[in-house]
Amino acid sequence: MLHHPKPDLFQLSLKVNGKLVEREIVTHMRLLDFLRNELLLTGTKEVCGEGECGACTIIMDGQTVNSCLILAVEAHNRNITTIEGLTNTQELSKLQQSFEDHHSVQCGYCIPGMVLSGEKLLERNSHPTRDEIKYELSGNICRCTGYHKIVDAIEHASDVDAADEHR
Amino acid sequence: MKYYSPDSLDAYFKLRSKLAGKDVAVLAGGTDLMPRYERGLSMPDHLIDLKSLSKLSSILVSDDYIEIGALTSIQDLHDHAVIQAEFTAIHQAAHEFAGTQIRHRATTGGNLCNASPAGDLLPGLYAFEAILELTNADGQRTLPISDFILGPGKTALSDGELLTAIRIPRDHWDSKFIKVGLRQSMAISVINIALVYHHLEASFTHLKIATGAVAPTVITLDEFCQAYQLNPSNLLQHIQLIDNAISPIDDIRATANYRRTVLKNLIRDFLTNG
Repeated sequence: MLHHPKPDLFQLSLKVNGKLVEREIVTHMRLLDFLRNELLLTGTKEVCGEGECGACTIIMDGQTVNSCLILAVEAHNRNITTIEGLTNTQELSKLQQSFEDHHSVQCGYCIPGMVLSGEKLLERNSHPTRDEIKYELSGNICRCTGYHKIVDAIEHASDVDAADEHR
Repeated sequence: MKYYSPDSLDAYFKLRSKLAGKDVAVLAGGTDLMPRYERGLSMPDHLIDLKSLSKLSSILVSDDYIEIGALTSIQDLHDHAVIQAEFTAIHQAAHEFAGTQIRHRATTGGNLCNASPAGDLLPGLYAFEAILELTNADGQRTLPISDFILGPGKTALSDGELLTAIRIPRDHWDSKFIKVGLRQSMAISVINIALVYHHLEASFTHLKIATGAVAPTVITLDEFCQAYQLNPSNLLQHIQLIDNAISPIDDIRATANYRRTVLKNLIRDFLTNG
């Protein structure tokens, strides 16, 4: 959370998970705080607050970004997807299912960011190598030491349909 | 805090003159500024977001130069075909730059204006002899990068002046970027090196080496390169010239001695083994 002795208001308008959102906010509010505290989209997490860990990863205009490093006013007229908006239904995306199948989640705090980074990679490259996955995820830190299973989940996300038949 | 996002340079300079003498900060990608606010740096009364100056985020290619708009993101710089083909060291530095989310936001001009001794784009820009275009309300001037960065966090920008573009001559040199960090990604460099060169059989017809995090600013090892080009067989003797050129310090990432040793070894290795 950032503070300013002389707060000023801004009429913010943006798309979040496909819906138009209009709110009056203080200009010094971070996008992360806007999503969590104003819109109650608490799937986006805060850990380091300085762009190192990737727990606050969201997709803005098609690119993964750290929402802790962006002011909400910078997202004016932008299009945001958070982990809550990844699918339009209660069902999991293929990649989310793959995280479940590979037991990739321990405490879970890094997972929304990991999933969004993984989704963007798979969008460009449906069969990434393990090295490509590690490169893409280098801005997402897991402190439960669960990287292997996270990489497994992304590597095999495209096989999820086939795996379903064996369940 | 008043927030502004002017959409033209004209509007920007009008705003700057209106806010003259006030507490103003400019924001580009925010990947360096926002963590400072997080750590307690007080936010300005007036924040000017540059990202609506969309003219500054394109890369133009002419026969002699590539011109990188100051707001070009590290990711766009990395992905550009001419950067990949002709400026390998810069492409490699962009590839190893932080992590994906940061590369999407951080800007080329921001990396220059922060003037960090360890900034990963800087050695490549020094070794390719980049020229910077600075703009203020009255017009433009150009400066070689080595005259732009004056010290850690200090640049030649005057009040209200903007870094608008980075021009690099298309000399078709080969090049290479080497980063030593404590971890592959998201790590500030212990040292970084850019080598720009041209081989003719066994000898170098062009050799320019720039290195970061071994002095308050990036250093070009011109004396060493000249000596080596004149007499390549005396490499071990010339390598001492590197020691004279740099002034590394001990910090949390490495000792000064480590930096000296690793730098000399990496350069020796490159010149002997390619």
